[in-house]
Amino acid sequence: MIRVLKSREFLVLVLMVAMILAVAMVNKAVLYPITLINIVNSSLFLMLLAIGQMFVILARGIDVSVGAIAGLSAVVFALVLNAGVPLVPAMLLALITGLLAGMVNGLGVAFVGIPPIIMTLGTLGTYRGMMRVLTGGSWIESIPQSIKSFAVTRFQTVPLMVWTMIVVVIVVSVLLWKIRSVRYFYAVGDNADGAYLLGINVRMTRFWSFALSGLFAGAAAIVFVGQIGFVPMQTGNGQELKAIAAVVLGGVSLMGGTGSIWSAVIGALFLTSVDSMMIFLHVPGSWNNAVAGFVLLAVVVSDYVIRRAVRNRRLAARAAEMRQSDRESNDGDTPDFSRELEATP
Amino acid sequence: MTFPIWAKSWEFMLAVVLVVELLVLGAINPTFLNVENLLFATSDFIHVIIAAVGLTLVIMTGGIDISGVSIMGLASIVLGLMFVAGVPIGFGVLAALLVGTAAGAFNGTVIAKTDINPLVITLAMLFLYSGIATGLPTLLDLLGFKAYGAGGFQAYQYEGISGLPKSFTWVGSGGVGWFPMPLIIALTIAVITGWLLTRTRFGRFLKLIGVNAEVARFTGVPVRRTLIAVYAINGLVTAVAGLVLTAYFTSARSDLGAEALLNIITAVVLGGSSIYGGQGSVLGTVLAGLVLGFLRQGLLALGVTSDVVPVIVGLLLIGSVGLKIGMGVMQTRRANREAYDTERLAVAQNGG
Repeated sequence: MIRVLKSREFLVLVLMVAMILAVAMVNKAVLYPITLINIVNSSLFLMLLAIGQMFVILARGIDVSVGAIAGLSAVVFALVLNAGVPLVPAMLLALITGLLAGMVNGLGVAFVGIPPIIMTLGTLGTYRGMMRVLTGGSWIESIPQSIKSFAVTRFQTVPLMVWTMIVVVIVVSVLLWKIRSVRYFYAVGDNADGAYLLGINVRMTRFWSFALSGLFAGAAAIVFVGQIGFVPMQTGNGQELKAIAAVVLGGVSLMGGTGSIWSAVIGALFLTSVDSMMIFLHVPGSWNNAVAGFVLLAVVVSDYVIRRAVRNRRLAARAAEMRQSDRESNDGDTPDFSRELEATP
Repeated sequence: MTFPIWAKSWEFMLAVVLVVELLVLGAINPTFLNVENLLFATSDFIHVIIAAVGLTLVIMTGGIDISGVSIMGLASIVLGLMFVAGVPIGFGVLAALLVGTAAGAFNGTVIAKTDINPLVITLAMLFLYSGIATGLPTLLDLLGFKAYGAGGFQAYQYEGISGLPKSFTWVGSGGVGWFPMPLIIALTIAVITGWLLTRTRFGRFLKLIGVNAEVARFTGVPVRRTLIAVYAINGLVTAVAGLVLTAYFTSARSDLGAEALLNIITAVVLGGSSIYGGQGSVLGTVLAGLVLGFLRQGLLALGVTSDVVPVIVGLLLIGSVGLKIGMGVMQTRRANREAYDTERLAVAQNGG
């Protein structure tokens, strides 16, 4: 329990609640359940990207191509839907597109040894270009109603997609908690050499972290097409950076090995609610990025300051302890020594 | 056949690639090889080269600064606002450069004083600076200043702050003889940073920090001060890139250069810099930037749609790093084999 309360995820959650309450003092409409549900609903796209990103960053990589993968999957999804493919196979195709795109990243990083940021920057351009080549640069509109109706269907006033997301989050958290091979991501991210010596297949773990990131980007594409109803060429543009920001905000370290799915979930919720709060405060939308950047900077820097303070206090305590024991043993030593001398003859 | 040592360098390979590229494109389309056209064509992508030169210094230390693309927009909008406020253009330029340097120094300060990954910090700064750049005009407008130039908000949204004086836009479109001003500026910056990197103590400090920051600290390198300085220099250089772009487009916009991130990093990495630090050269970055820029223009001239260009640039980035890794593997393998052979020879001689 204490561990949960001390965690970075909890800190960000508290910050978010405080922010929402503060805005509620200005504008009560924030606290209507429907507003909150809508915030969650509009964070789904970012949340899926962030969860995928989390796997990569856990294994000490970085994937800046997720936005482009989401765009590519969205284009494939919309194209096959427009070609008359039923909804479920089309969804599968979108997921497979994402998975394959992620696997390409994984191959380059894990098996060729290209640094993750270089590999995914390269594929970022490649996928974004492919997206335009597939569509000829025009938007895809007139997407069948089936997917849109899925997006607006609500159960207990909560959209079906949010329910699906809850299930996904629970499943992934159980996987990360219970299944050993999923926990390899932590081991590889924390210490790849150590993981190798323990018999973990480091390369495959890295590979699958990127593949999963692609898969989740494919899922995000489905959410996007459902919610927006058309596919502009900017789909997912800049979202890769937002996804990384969300994950880092939630407490996943870029040095690998720390963090949880809650980091991704809460980070994405936070960034989305910042955008919504701006609307409720009647701040022009052009400030959204500045606020998001400031929040991210403030959180990581204050996290560093807290960590350093804790470490310094611990070091000081240990130093005091050592000095104490030094003095005690010194005090004790001299008489002991003399007594021994006396006892020897 | 043995090559002299300089012919084996990455920069020489890039130069060969550049020449071959120009010859191939010229063979397909002879008008391409007009020297004056070629030189003036660089203005389209010179901001990438300028920013990449600044980033080379940062990557040399093992860090990274992805907020540069936002600093370009920020510098541009600061200049525009100064112009609208009626400040002489020279002071506007000075203010924009100062803001860029300050933004860079701020990056450097946070990076040097904490142990947070530079990528995270500059990611936050990327959002922060671009948000300030887009938000600043609306804020000033709310406060009652006329921030949008002659056309008001509508025109601002379409074309940014236009109507900049000729003396400034000349920097983007004018030239001395065959040399366009942007290229002259870029080469000047490249020469200065190249000199900094190879001929000064500061440059050696950068390399040392990139190889091992901890060792550098124990050797007496002022790591923090050097880091702050290098990020500040990068901020200044990127601000110059933003201003050159502003002059070239003859209007100040907050989103200028936002698309350039992929190209900038590609130029640095293709130029031979290692993302892990300690390795790289300004000459390589400039050559790689030229290769990339002319490739793009050549493809467009050949009728390839601009959609395919990022695909090719992306593949080139991955391919070049893959090639380097492959070459490294071959080299170690050859070294191992040679060591093995000499050892076996020695053993055989001893035995005989």
